[in-house]
Amino acid sequence: MCTWRRLGLLLLLVIGTPAGAQAQWLPEGPITAARGTVTVAGEATVTVGGRDDSAFFNYTDYEHNALRMLRVSISGMWRPAARLAFLTELRSEDAQRVIPYAMYVRVRPWKGRALDVQAGRIPPVFGAFARRSYGSDNPLIGYPLAYQYLTSIRPDAVPFTADDLLAMRARGWRVTYPVGVTTPGPGVPLVSAYRWDTGVQASGTAGPVEAAFAITSGTLSNPRVTDDNGGRQLSARIAWKPVVGLVVGGSAARGQFLITTVETAVAEVTGRHGHTQRALGLDAEYSRAYWIVRGELIDSRWDLPGLAPPLIDGPVQARAAYIETRYRFTPRFFAAARADHLTFSTIRGQRRFAGQPTPWDSPVTRIEAGGGVYLQRNLTVRLVAQHNWRDAGQVRNRTYVSAQLAYWF
Amino acid sequence: MLRILYVSVTASTIALGSLAAALVPRVATAAYRPSPVAPHAPGAIHGRVEVRATGRPPDMRPDPGGLGITGTRDPVDRRRSVVYLETAPRAAFEASPDRRATMNQRNERFVPHVLAIVAGTYVDFPNDDRTYHNVFSLSKNNDFNLGRYAAGHKKSVRFQSPGVVRVFCEIHSHMSAFILVFAHRFFAVTDDEGRYRLDGVPPGTYTLAVWNETVHGDPPRRTVTIGEAGDEVEADFTIR
Repeated sequence: MCTWRRLGLLLLLVIGTPAGAQAQWLPEGPITAARGTVTVAGEATVTVGGRDDSAFFNYTDYEHNALRMLRVSISGMWRPAARLAFLTELRSEDAQRVIPYAMYVRVRPWKGRALDVQAGRIPPVFGAFARRSYGSDNPLIGYPLAYQYLTSIRPDAVPFTADDLLAMRARGWRVTYPVGVTTPGPGVPLVSAYRWDTGVQASGTAGPVEAAFAITSGTLSNPRVTDDNGGRQLSARIAWKPVVGLVVGGSAARGQFLITTVETAVAEVTGRHGHTQRALGLDAEYSRAYWIVRGELIDSRWDLPGLAPPLIDGPVQARAAYIETRYRFTPRFFAAARADHLTFSTIRGQRRFAGQPTPWDSPVTRIEAGGGVYLQRNLTVRLVAQHNWRDAGQVRNRTYVSAQLAYWF
Repeated sequence: MLRILYVSVTASTIALGSLAAALVPRVATAAYRPSPVAPHAPGAIHGRVEVRATGRPPDMRPDPGGLGITGTRDPVDRRRSVVYLETAPRAAFEASPDRRATMNQRNERFVPHVLAIVAGTYVDFPNDDRTYHNVFSLSKNNDFNLGRYAAGHKKSVRFQSPGVVRVFCEIHSHMSAFILVFAHRFFAVTDDEGRYRLDGVPPGTYTLAVWNETVHGDPPRRTVTIGEAGDEVEADFTIR
């Protein structure tokens, strides 16, 4: 079905439903049971937009299109005691399998001390975006590049030479390398917002400072349920709230990235183990009156082995920055925009680009803008236009129009 | 279902009636019926509203994206009801000086949870919390958005149109409250024990109704008569 027909159907659905008419058959808030110890909430988003089968600007690491997706999630919390809770979020994208996005226990060991421990499949402590509730807290439809755009890095396959890496520029949705898993597969984003990692984290608050620390089995790019390399990722974030409405955070993470079989194969050639992903992040949010402004800077480096000339000299680096704003100009209507850029460090090949320093993946710029209307407090319609540019690939720039109906309770 | 209770300020009966879609807030009007005697010997209506099954009030949504335990909060008292006259004497609609009422934001709750006011009243929304709040409503004819403002500040809204106003905080989804805007002054919010009292009711026959957030459908009603001598009438309600 073409984009405009899908958009038309969505608009028909919205227009044909009186603004106040949803309240009766849709829950307005979470459902509670067991004397209030169990709370269940949900979120559903129907996003329609054009196909993206040639440019793949909005593909996610589950190979879904973020601008064309049906997503349903159910979150639940069982809080048998004041300082003990079990939380989960089950999610399905495009009516496919249900994934336990989150599943963990939360404990506050000491009464009166704001120190909490969470263990299981836990939210990332790094950055700010990945912990947001998508339907209600994302002013737009698309994700920031750092959290969604697939680079040409894979944890289960590595290039033999720098030319192998350069050959995959702007092909993050279908990457193939000669070492490791040789079948084509998607690369990874800088930070995955579509999967959460598994491990233990502790967080605490002291006045205007919040700190969180986590040990997990995967990495920011490749969160894991089960460990695939015996390594651990350490990640931390410190946030400072000097005044109400302003949050400034700094994050860092380091974890073993390549899977065991690749590590072993690489070590036989180079004698080196422990190829890592390291990342630094800076995030800020300021809100006042009808405005919210958010921004993040993320620097990620992956150690890749130098197996054969032309060698990949040192870790490859990616930097992402975005700033987004939302303005609610009436009780029902809001406008939002995000400017986003992703750059990559340069490497030198031999056959490709005449040996000149070239970004190992194609830099991407994205502008997304749109608006929305609150049909009711928990039922929102958004319409956005997103334009992407990059300097490589078969499709170098593309505009998408997407509409979304989001409901939560 | 939201139910908007509206007492017309005109002498004619305007039956806006129930809208076609059963899910749309229904507007019920009642006309002023002149009292048989001059309102010089006012009476009173008092009683108790017993709300037997309130159900669990809406709680905080699970926050899988959170990094720690959230504090516990006092549950919302859903037994709080508003008793009002569906029909009221003409004098009740006369213009009154500017009135003010207050709905605080405290410990991530609106206090009070239910507020009843006369149309034209200014309601102050002071933020008594340490965090931002963003009070807003999408209620028909009374929609507003105060934006985000910090502790120690307050913003105000003047409610001009009778009806039920659902109040929310954009930041804290578990915060909600009700403001009932009446065209006249004959209403009362029940106290902790469900008791209410309407004073200064002129002699006449009236329909007394009760609003409670747990009631979905027609509100419980009773017909009460205030005698010429200015009786005191007791009318109790039970909401199951």
